[in-house]
Amino acid sequence: MTQSKDSQPSEYHVASFVAYPILAQLDEVKQAITDIEGAEIHVTSEEGKIVFTMEGSSYRDIGTKMDIIRVHKGIINLSPVYHQILDESTDNDAIQQEPKNILKELEKNKT
Amino acid sequence: MTINRREFIKANAIAAAAAVAGVSVPAVASNLITSSDITKLKWDKAPCRFCGTGCSVNVGVMDGKVVATHGDIKSPVNKGLNCVKGYFLSKIMYGKDRLTTPLLRMTNGKYDKEGEFTPVSWDQAFNVMAEKAKDALKKDGPEALGMFGSGQWTVQEGYAAVKLMKAGFRTNNIDPNARHCMASAVGGFMRTFGIDEPMGCYDDLEAADAFVLWGSNMAEMHPILWTRLTDRRLSAPHVKVAVLSTFEHRSFDLADNGMIFTPQTDLAILNYIANYIIQTGRVNKDFVSKHTNFRLGETDIGYGLRPEHPLEQAAKNNGKTAGSSTPIDFDEYAKFVSTYTVESVSKLSGVPEHKLEALAELYADPKIKVTSFWTMGFNQHTRGVWANNLVYNIHLLTGKISTPGNSPFSLTGQPSACGTAREVGTFSHRLPADMVVKNPKHRAIAEKIWDLPEGTIPPKPGYHAVLQNRMLKDGKLNFYWVQCNNNMQAAANTNEEVYPGYRNPKNFIVVSDPYPTVTAQAADLILPTAMWVEKEGVYGNAERRTQSWYQMVEAPEGAKSDLWQLVEFSKRFNVEDVWPEELIAKKPEVRGKTLFDVLYKDSSVGKFSLDEVPEDRLNHDARDFGFYIQKGLFEEYATFGRGHAHDLAPYDRYHKERGLRWPVVNGVETKWRFKEGSDPYVKPGSGWDFYGKPDGRAIIFALPYEPPAESPDEEYDLWLSTGRVLEHWHSGSMTQRVPELYKAMPDALVYMHPDDAKKRNMRRGDLVKLISRRGEVQTRVETRGRNKPPIGLVYMPWFDASRLVNKVTLDATDPLSKQTDFKKCAIKIVKV
Repeated sequence: MTQSKDSQPSEYHVASFVAYPILAQLDEVKQAITDIEGAEIHVTSEEGKIVFTMEGSSYRDIGTKMDIIRVHKGIINLSPVYHQILDESTDNDAIQQEPKNILKELEKNKT
Repeated sequence: MTINRREFIKANAIAAAAAVAGVSVPAVASNLITSSDITKLKWDKAPCRFCGTGCSVNVGVMDGKVVATHGDIKSPVNKGLNCVKGYFLSKIMYGKDRLTTPLLRMTNGKYDKEGEFTPVSWDQAFNVMAEKAKDALKKDGPEALGMFGSGQWTVQEGYAAVKLMKAGFRTNNIDPNARHCMASAVGGFMRTFGIDEPMGCYDDLEAADAFVLWGSNMAEMHPILWTRLTDRRLSAPHVKVAVLSTFEHRSFDLADNGMIFTPQTDLAILNYIANYIIQTGRVNKDFVSKHTNFRLGETDIGYGLRPEHPLEQAAKNNGKTAGSSTPIDFDEYAKFVSTYTVESVSKLSGVPEHKLEALAELYADPKIKVTSFWTMGFNQHTRGVWANNLVYNIHLLTGKISTPGNSPFSLTGQPSACGTAREVGTFSHRLPADMVVKNPKHRAIAEKIWDLPEGTIPPKPGYHAVLQNRMLKDGKLNFYWVQCNNNMQAAANTNEEVYPGYRNPKNFIVVSDPYPTVTAQAADLILPTAMWVEKEGVYGNAERRTQSWYQMVEAPEGAKSDLWQLVEFSKRFNVEDVWPEELIAKKPEVRGKTLFDVLYKDSSVGKFSLDEVPEDRLNHDARDFGFYIQKGLFEEYATFGRGHAHDLAPYDRYHKERGLRWPVVNGVETKWRFKEGSDPYVKPGSGWDFYGKPDGRAIIFALPYEPPAESPDEEYDLWLSTGRVLEHWHSGSMTQRVPELYKAMPDALVYMHPDDAKKRNMRRGDLVKLISRRGEVQTRVETRGRNKPPIGLVYMPWFDASRLVNKVTLDATDPLSKQTDFKKCAIKIVKV
């Protein structure tokens, strides 16, 4: 993730990760992930790659939780894959036009 | 199946991560169906309806309706994966406003250009259409007729359309929307290699040591390929990813070397890399001496604007010689690029020197296998063909081409931009298998395969996409049929150059679409269209993979495929209506026949019987015409390429495979072209053979940096780049009708740098106007989104029909490819 800026509390964040654990410590790592609030494991591959998500309210929140896993001794590599933010404060902010108005707007033409 | 926005984006996140891990998407992220439903489902395979990646999906049908889709685990392209659009593919056919009857503008029961859309029967619709087409033919000849088609047409539809227009109506005024998408890539391939389409394939993704993205946001536009690239990057630590763009986007998340450059300076960066390779002594001399020639290209070629535009008046070489070149040697070439030093190019482009050097080293280091990907950043460029030529230069200088992982790779945006637009040749200058109308030998080949008299196909290239709009406005193109695209939303400079032509009283405009798009609403007659698995067809993806599918569901009552529309319409014309007597006299047996008879039924298209279509298989079009039309069209079309390096397998085989990459010779597909051992067309002992050129040598072009058509100034002080988003496919006519995708990304926002917003006293969410010299559009400001433009540039996607950003863009095109530059124009932004 390239953003470091913290976000407003009205946001919903979801990020997904692939964790590459030391196989001998697979169960331990999985436990560590599920102990985190908002984290959920969805699938583990045959090679032990763990697909999990983390939900939270800000970049900082997700980042803090991510660091708990990143520094876990059973982890070889943690790959953040996806991060999306839902700004729930502007949900109803959308402008919506009936398509037929588009033509009218086109007819209005230039500036 | 409704899920809320949180669940939706979470599902999205899971799908992405599962894809990276190489595991199947767990149930929560699947398009959920209960176990009892599964037993009732009938599954079949089809290529995805959206982008040029060409994923294969399994389509689940229950009670005559598509209810589920999932990634096809047997597909070598997507290996069971789906992107978020593919994930909701099952819903695209079921928008509430699906059209089911032809609609004609009428007043008091009669056609009236200013009338209201009124339901009419297909028979009435074709009557009016035929009358208007015949009027135009009589008055101004074949050049008054035109068609705008699509890289989303099936191969058969594109082929039927080419035959109808070029041989039936004898006009070359047919062009696909793919002109907006990859015409520059075609121009680049033809100019450098003499044959179209990538030499490599997606297997390069697992073989490369470095990837360079040139004006491509694969993370959003080609998510499945991005997943494969991500997996390669994460599973092989030595792999490097470089990303170049005029603004920061999601693909930068994975970049080891992310570079933001000033628009248009990619040309200089490409020349710098060539210079770096030469200066550091890393030219692959053996390869270069055996397999390449050097040429100096014509410069100052203009910007493809109307001839009276001051920029065209000022350009020295914007005429027919714009694409010409003269031979030079290596030393002259080396001297030509020597001025592109790291210092000068860093200054011009704004990219720090160390980043440029790291980029150049990826290409120069003989141990690094490098794959370059590009999409619209290169192709939608007033020097798009040059940009393509220049990237080939650096792969050719180093011999990093046509071997696994060494691949200059142009990606396409539409599911059959390659298959239908390029291979079939639905362009105004083309014929199938890379042939062109202006070449008499090529016309003769086509006329022979079509069993038509010599001189049927007109030699003069027709109006290309942008010229079609200009000619509509000027009243020279009077009967115009648009199929399978939304050009009123997609084409640049809508206000000045698109809308006026559609509403010109001299013109009759027909638009075929499943939905009432902006384009449909600007038409005089709308024809309701059957889509995707409501018909049988073939698509060709970006790696030369040809894929087929069967009809799986009935179209809504009243909607008909583009193929049916084209072929049924041909019944309305007798040969005498469209051909001059001297042409008919050369083949008197066509007298009294319809175009349907001559072009389809009685040609080799009509030779496959309905017996080949099992009774329990849907195939509306074949049954309606009385022969297996899709097979007939495909097989006749395939005749053009077999034995000419475009070989396709027999039609029936594609229904058993997850696609095959042409040329398919002796039943075997070709992964890497031009390389001995992997391409059967390469001469033994040659190593590499660029057989598209008579001497087997590819061309390294000396071409300079030239400035864009329009740059910011004091009044219009910002660059505008338009583009796409992950959730919507192109103009959004399908994906905006999927509630989950609509909710995830309802409106097109303008992404801008926080400092630019602050300077204009704007805040995130403010309603603003984007204003250019040509028009204006309103939207809201986004300063924190997924796209992070630098100061001085804004980005707005074009998927949103309620915010038509193309009202402000400029219709400047590459003079060689005629493709519009949607990535650069000057605007200002004011608060509303």
